[in-house]
Amino acid sequence: MALSQGTAWKFALPLKVVFQRFAFLSLICVSVALLVLGKADLVILERVRTISTDALTPILGTLSQPVNALNKGIERVKELATLVEENEKLRRENERLIRWQAVSRKLDQENEYYQRLLNALTDPLVLPITARVVGDSGGPFVRTLLLGAGTRDGIRVGQAVVGPLGLVGRIAEVGRKSSRVLLLTDLNSRIPVILQKSRHKGILVGDNSATPKLEYLPINAQVSPGDRVVTSGDGAMLPAGRPIGIVSSVSDGQVQIQTFADWAKLEFVSVLRYDLPGLTDRATNPGDLGESQLSN
Amino acid sequence: MTPSISYQVDQILRGSIPFWLTFFLALLSVVPMRIEGFAIVTPSLVTISVFYWSLHRPNLMSAPIVFLLGLISDILTGVPMGLSPLILLLVHGISASQRLVFVGRAFIVTWWGFLLVGAGVAFLSWIIACLYSLSILPILPVLMQFVLSMLVFPLCAWCFGFVQNSLLRHI
Repeated sequence: MALSQGTAWKFALPLKVVFQRFAFLSLICVSVALLVLGKADLVILERVRTISTDALTPILGTLSQPVNALNKGIERVKELATLVEENEKLRRENERLIRWQAVSRKLDQENEYYQRLLNALTDPLVLPITARVVGDSGGPFVRTLLLGAGTRDGIRVGQAVVGPLGLVGRIAEVGRKSSRVLLLTDLNSRIPVILQKSRHKGILVGDNSATPKLEYLPINAQVSPGDRVVTSGDGAMLPAGRPIGIVSSVSDGQVQIQTFADWAKLEFVSVLRYDLPGLTDRATNPGDLGESQLSN
Repeated sequence: MTPSISYQVDQILRGSIPFWLTFFLALLSVVPMRIEGFAIVTPSLVTISVFYWSLHRPNLMSAPIVFLLGLISDILTGVPMGLSPLILLLVHGISASQRLVFVGRAFIVTWWGFLLVGAGVAFLSWIIACLYSLSILPILPVLMQFVLSMLVFPLCAWCFGFVQNSLLRHI
């Protein structure tokens, strides 16, 4: 009996090692296969991803709250130190803005009057959905955000995402309760833009660096540092005229943009529900159509 | 004599601690810290955890568990699926096979080991990501992430050591 147990062990141990080796190697092969399949944009992989993010987002939301509270506390203490200067600065800025407001009101009225004269069609109404940022990319290879809102809140793939200062990116993946934003700076991001002053159109191309590039500008386009860049609205996916950033440098044909968005301070973002009546159907953008026609 | 059910449940729960700990670290690495530029260079806590547990408790951090953790990490961070499982499995393979070199030695030897493994996999993951996107990605963030991971390694190792000596003492 003792002998047979001994022999069983003699077989069992190498078998275990063989099994472990086999599992290890086969899992490596599975990983490589997943990478290759992922390149082919398989629907099933995306489904797995969105379902899993849906399940994990509530945990992330809870985890991010103490971090937010701590950061808010630190910021509050910092603000206390510069309260007087801040107050003075804001007072001056307020005076300046009140003057601007008067100018802007006048221009707005003028603009409306001219549009009526020309019988110009107005842009459809844009409805923002505010969502909490529950996750960031946490690594050097992608520039994305996770939001705690999904299809049930009206978010669809392709919609624009804006922060308090300007455009942040677009929705790339959407689950029921969560969605992923592809930031402007990501390698795969392409946004149709226009130079606000010269009205030249181009494409904003992300390259994983902090300053995306402006490409496909007309050859005769004159670009100088400081020019404002806004969305052009081409392709009818993003509303036109949303601020993105300013041209930070122009060197031998390379135009780089400094974005307005403050990447570290994005706690909430707005997802813009936008569609041009007739260009999107109810299935891809349900609920929007009726609302957006309000303005027409 | 077979051990009682409560004892077995206790053993299983304690045995799964390395997995849950790494899972928690995977979640923690995508929580927005609101520090300028930190999201890009967040230290790879999951790699540290997989390295440590493969070294000290290879039976609790087996290849299928490493694969699963890699998948979760990919899903959370949004990188191409399969990248982290591959990298983490390599870390696991190296550390589990070289554990005789590290276990029982001074901590500095383990740290040195992580430096070599970390540098290797950081470079490899950069190459895979470049091949995947068919372009040259900036390497500086990858290096920064590696350096930060190196710096937090002692702290993580100390915490894991504490867990190992208290909760996992008899496993």
